Amino acid sequence: MIPKGTTHEFWKSIHAGALKAAKELKVELIWKGPLREDDRDQQISVVEDFISRGVTGIVLAPLDDIALRAPVANATRAHIPVVIIDSDLKSDDYISFVATDNHLGGVMGGRELARILGGKGRVVMLRCMEGSASTVNREQGFLDAMKEFPGITIVSANQYGGPTTETAYRASENLLGPLKASAGKLTIDGIFAVNESTTFGMLRALQDAGCAGNVTFVGFDSSTKLVEGLRNKHINALVLQNPFRMGYDGVSIMVKHLRGEKVDRRQDTGVTLVTPENMDQPEMRQLISPDLSQWLP
Amino acid sequence: MKSLARLSHTLGPLAGLVAIFLLFAIAGPESFSSSSNLETIARQTAIVGSAALGMTLIIISGGIDLSVGSMIALVTVVIAAMLQAGINPLLAALGGIAMGALCGFLNGFLITRLKVVPFIVTLGTYLVVRGAAKGFAHEQKIDAPLTWLKELLAALPPGEGWRIVPWGVWLTALLALFVAGLLIYTRLGRHIFAVGSNEQTARLCGIPVDRVKVIVYVLGGAFAGVAGVLQFSRLTIGDPTVAMGVELDVIAAVVIGGGSLSGGEGSILGSIVGALIMTVIRSGCAQMGLPNWVQEMVTGCIIVLAVAIDRWRQRRRT
Repeated sequence: MIPKGTTHEFWKSIHAGALKAAKELKVELIWKGPLREDDRDQQISVVEDFISRGVTGIVLAPLDDIALRAPVANATRAHIPVVIIDSDLKSDDYISFVATDNHLGGVMGGRELARILGGKGRVVMLRCMEGSASTVNREQGFLDAMKEFPGITIVSANQYGGPTTETAYRASENLLGPLKASAGKLTIDGIFAVNESTTFGMLRALQDAGCAGNVTFVGFDSSTKLVEGLRNKHINALVLQNPFRMGYDGVSIMVKHLRGEKVDRRQDTGVTLVTPENMDQPEMRQLISPDLSQWLP
Repeated sequence: MKSLARLSHTLGPLAGLVAIFLLFAIAGPESFSSSSNLETIARQTAIVGSAALGMTLIIISGGIDLSVGSMIALVTVVIAAMLQAGINPLLAALGGIAMGALCGFLNGFLITRLKVVPFIVTLGTYLVVRGAAKGFAHEQKIDAPLTWLKELLAALPPGEGWRIVPWGVWLTALLALFVAGLLIYTRLGRHIFAVGSNEQTARLCGIPVDRVKVIVYVLGGAFAGVAGVLQFSRLTIGDPTVAMGVELDVIAAVVIGGGSLSGGEGSILGSIVGALIMTVIRSGCAQMGLPNWVQEMVTGCIIVLAVAIDRWRQRRRT
């Protein structure tokens, strides 16, 4: 299994889910990310290494919907089946695509933001990275949802958080800078961020500026810090994917295919909205902080 | 005697490469020494290898170029934009190389005119060129129509085994021969060594030091341009964030291959061997299933070890 990187908690959950499936189905799982996190060229190298190593199947989260096409085609030519997870690939060479319905996730986040704001106000969206299909779809979903609410104006939707928390933090500061009014108030009413790093970067920027809690903030994905933010009401809602299930399904669909069963070309792993009110329900707890330690080495 | 010394200078890294390869061939899985993996190693070395050709010239002349990775990114972006505008792929590739050479000229011009050390100038252009790549691409990747350029470094399709490795690797090998010839047999080659060994003496001997330096940086940029063409062939898109940190791999390749950061020493064969050593370690670790952090630490140790052994041998000789 080849993730986009290995340090985000998101990938750790995917890893844990994949290990659970590998254990249950009695297959060996090799987990290897690109040497430099989020480097497209390095990820191509990892795919090539797996091909020459002669693995039985590859589960890949492509960093780019085009650049990874050639290595995936090579794998298929070498009779190594490929399952794509998390982000789409513009190709027909894979057997199944296992991912969150990201557009729906964006729509849910957008509607929740609009619901809290009562259908009117000024909002901003912090984008992630161009070319990453999953976040682009969330951004589009959010914008589509906003069209349902004529009372809402989008002040900014063209800023990118970039690959890391640090770059997202800087982008958030730059975005908020001109929007500051006096004493911890902002001239906007709502914020939407599209993944873990942009949500955390934005949260930090809001906390630094003393604005956290004074503005409606809906984010995407979860981590310990984001859950803390939710509990402090610095974040009003988080759209959650189910990375554990994505890892689990990715591996089990691959095994199914290898055992000659038919598999679906598209597998949705679901999105859920978590708020300070419902965060302590058991099924939400399972999503927010799944017990990974029993699976991870 | 002198040629013997030079020979042993390049044989050191070569012996290292053979040793590391054998180590993985014995300790690693069988697939490591399979022909398809050897092809993969050759393909994965081509980018760093071609950029290392230019870097070798720069380092021999006593300089350094930290902007190589940024240039590669800019070149992929330029090529993608040109292809998108419907320009012939060959012209687009040449345009990319010209862009690299232009960046190299900027480096050489600033270094010789402002009299600022190369480390600082290229640290500056490292940011300027990276920024230019992002700005030119509007902070996005640029999709390009598929052309034969992608075949340069693609895995060999079945039935084309006679090529042994893809054209891009042959191109790198050919360029390596060309640069090695330039260094050993031409006046410019000797001037580059002279400038790197002792700039004052070279100047007093009537060598046009500034001109030599500018030429060296232009060539360095052009080879970074070639590396950019190969990188584009691998990605098939223009990516302004690619090749982050590649300049360090390129410098490491030259240094492992016997290049001295104080100038006057280095060889093309050595640098190519240095680049190969790093790919072999990476590939070997991947085949053995070692995690990334082990691989990074092993590569780091080998860089220091390779240079330490080289210096030790030299001290013994003198």
